[in-house]
Amino acid sequence: MSDDPMTTPRAMRGRAPDVFHPGGWVPMKEYPQREPVDFVVIGTGAGGGPLIARLAERGYAVIGFDAGPYFRPLEDFASDETSQSQLFWTDERLVDGANPLRLGSNNSGRAVGGSTVHYAMVSLRFRPEWFKSRTLLGYGADWPLDWQEMWRYYAQAERDLAIAGPVSYPWGPKRPRYPYRAHEINGAAEVLARGAEAMGYQWAETPLATVSAPRGESPPCVYRGFCRVGCSTNAKQSQLVTYIPRALAAGAEIRDLAMVGRIAVDAAGRACGVHYHRNGAWHFQAARNVIVAGYAIETPRLLLNSATDRFPEGLANGSGLVGRYLMTQSNQAVYGVMDEIVRWNKGPPSLTITEHWNYEDRKDFHGGYCWMAQGPLPVEWSAALSGSRRLWGAALREKMGDYNHQVGLKMVGEMLPHFDNRVSLADETDRYGLPIARVTYSWHDNDKAMIQHALGEMQRSLELVGARDIWRQENDTNHLAGTARMGSDGKSSVVDADCRSWDIPNLWICDGSVFPTTGGVNPSLTITAIALRTADRICELHRAGDLRF
Amino acid sequence: MANTASPDGAPRAALALLGSLTGVALVAALHSRSPAPATRPSMKAPAPDPAAANRAARRLNRAAGTLAASVLLDSAVEHYRGQFENRMMYTPLVTAAMALGVSAHGTMDQRQTSHMVRDTVYLLTALVGVIGTGFHLYNVRRKVGGISWQNLFYGAPVGAPMAIGLSGLLGYLSERVRETPPGQRPMIWGLPAGRAVGVASGLGMAGTVGEAGLLHFRGRFHDPFMYLPVAMPPVAALALGRSALGPTGEDRRATRWWLRATAILGLSGTVFHAIGVGRDMGGWRNWQQNILNGPPIPAPPAFTGLALAGLAALGLLEDHPDD
Repeated sequence: MSDDPMTTPRAMRGRAPDVFHPGGWVPMKEYPQREPVDFVVIGTGAGGGPLIARLAERGYAVIGFDAGPYFRPLEDFASDETSQSQLFWTDERLVDGANPLRLGSNNSGRAVGGSTVHYAMVSLRFRPEWFKSRTLLGYGADWPLDWQEMWRYYAQAERDLAIAGPVSYPWGPKRPRYPYRAHEINGAAEVLARGAEAMGYQWAETPLATVSAPRGESPPCVYRGFCRVGCSTNAKQSQLVTYIPRALAAGAEIRDLAMVGRIAVDAAGRACGVHYHRNGAWHFQAARNVIVAGYAIETPRLLLNSATDRFPEGLANGSGLVGRYLMTQSNQAVYGVMDEIVRWNKGPPSLTITEHWNYEDRKDFHGGYCWMAQGPLPVEWSAALSGSRRLWGAALREKMGDYNHQVGLKMVGEMLPHFDNRVSLADETDRYGLPIARVTYSWHDNDKAMIQHALGEMQRSLELVGARDIWRQENDTNHLAGTARMGSDGKSSVVDADCRSWDIPNLWICDGSVFPTTGGVNPSLTITAIALRTADRICELHRAGDLRF
Repeated sequence: MANTASPDGAPRAALALLGSLTGVALVAALHSRSPAPATRPSMKAPAPDPAAANRAARRLNRAAGTLAASVLLDSAVEHYRGQFENRMMYTPLVTAAMALGVSAHGTMDQRQTSHMVRDTVYLLTALVGVIGTGFHLYNVRRKVGGISWQNLFYGAPVGAPMAIGLSGLLGYLSERVRETPPGQRPMIWGLPAGRAVGVASGLGMAGTVGEAGLLHFRGRFHDPFMYLPVAMPPVAALALGRSALGPTGEDRRATRWWLRATAILGLSGTVFHAIGVGRDMGGWRNWQQNILNGPPIPAPPAFTGLALAGLAALGLLEDHPDD
């Protein structure tokens, strides 16, 4: 039998890959398809992973579905950027709008563990005010969540993912000490720090989900630098090596290479299972609850594709907001060349950060942003030089010669939610015969003002440390959010604070798509914290008799 | 990616040679530990015994040698890792090797006079410890962020050079004890030698605890055994300090017991650190990388050296009660 994880499911016949041992297996419970399980979770990333683990640990029967393969990090992740594109969701999608998004790499993931398998591990908390940005800061929308409660779930997520961060974090309210100490900063990170000090801004080591000392079967990070693709040592605390093994140990089942195409609804208007494609055929899994955790494009696509006569606009879409208020984060960068050797590819790419402009409100635009040190690998770097700087041929080759002297600062900025930025269905269908997503995106004035502000600040920072040959990468965006926003009522939102859809009481949505606003930090830790909270809330609701089984 | 195609055979061979030589010296030093007399001439002050002073001096040589061996290997590994970027980084290798040599000589030397070469080498070694501390502090301070956790964790370890300084100091004290004229009590800087050595080793132990604590904090005490070197030696140092500053004639069995345990702790630390190296990516099969990046295998016996010095101090206090 083929052991190609891209074509043959691995989690089968009562066992799943043991990610910590080459060729090893761990036992896995399997549930019959006809018997309804307590929870089907669609997606195994930052939102789905913790839910599958926590619900299984509470004794529920849970199946996690993922359209992607079940990788063995120690065997499947070559030190080769090109081969690692296997981790991205590269199915066809249509993009339009004034600023069409570039999809398929750092804003997608297709693997058990989701995009956390290739994420850069940056694990930041929201600024507390962002949970009430409409009321307190005058833009966006309020979350129905209390920041102090979220602070506790952030702490739990940081413990579960063994985040390595600074001994004291300079911004925001007090937080518990990070479980692991910060990593040694590299040359590129030092340039950020020197620039920040020259500007009078604070800087810190970036809290990262890669261990700086042994943890269980994860050895400490070896600073190999292949961090924005798959980590072949298991130092990266992705879902694949944290919550998913916990989930299996607690009795959950994982179905890899299982693409859910449709959520079924019964005569009473309740979700009753999912139709999924695996091993070349469509199957049906019955379920008492369905949790969608497919991220900001696949989640609305699945809800819209599951339309019935009773729900002609798609499931959970009574508000008409499924797919609306899509947000990305501005990810512009400024690059320069230092006289001394920097070797920016050594170690994790974003080892230092300044959140100065997330916590400083004296500015003429809404929202916040941070910037981090950079360390793109050669292929990614040549793509930036050719794609953004328009270099080709001899000029490109000459600039690639500066690779070891190159430095860069890259922002993660808060784009504001707009009704017209959205995910909808196209007429075209994919290999499963399902309508593909159309992603419409346009920057607005506030977004543009923030980007210009950030580019100016980052450029000044590089100038102050003596970088030369400075240029701006103006067109990059990254993380996604929105499209199934949470809120306080069913008219202005898709789910409530517990990620439960207003329309269908046993249909839940728990991933980055529930964000009403996206904040100026990478979203994964917030997604995980929300998932941990949702798992707790589901148990409380069950105890209170508010959940039917 | 790191070049693992072995461009540096020579330094590694040298390292291996140094390692085995020092290992042999260490084993020999431990093996030659003179059996402790069953009954100690305590309580009543007998006439000072020159042989006892010599025995104490040789114990101190052994302590200084243990420290020197630890520093020699540790600085060799760490400075090799730092690619001997600054020529001064060879200094601790040279002085520690010299201190190890003269300590071996002193441990075997039954004569009751100090030795000029030993004395000079020890003084030089102590001086290098102080200068090294200055260098390491300078390295930390010039990094962005200055004195910060990041730089204390990953910059030049501020406490490390004092280990070789302490080796020199113990050796220097050994020479002073050794040159005690017949019929007199060993005195150092006008103090009874046992008290001076006790205080010096107690303080040294406290400093070493700080170093181990800092680095084990960096490793987030991920293994419960990592608490041992911040839990046991402070007790030993306090007990030793109490003995060194307190009245004579006290029962010091508990102190001696703690010091012996601390000496064993230092040696067993190498085993724990070797296990730690095995937990890094690739384990011992990838030793070329993991010896450099993992926990420093030669570092923990610094505690053994200081505990041996503490035991020598106890011996001096008991052989030469001063009231």
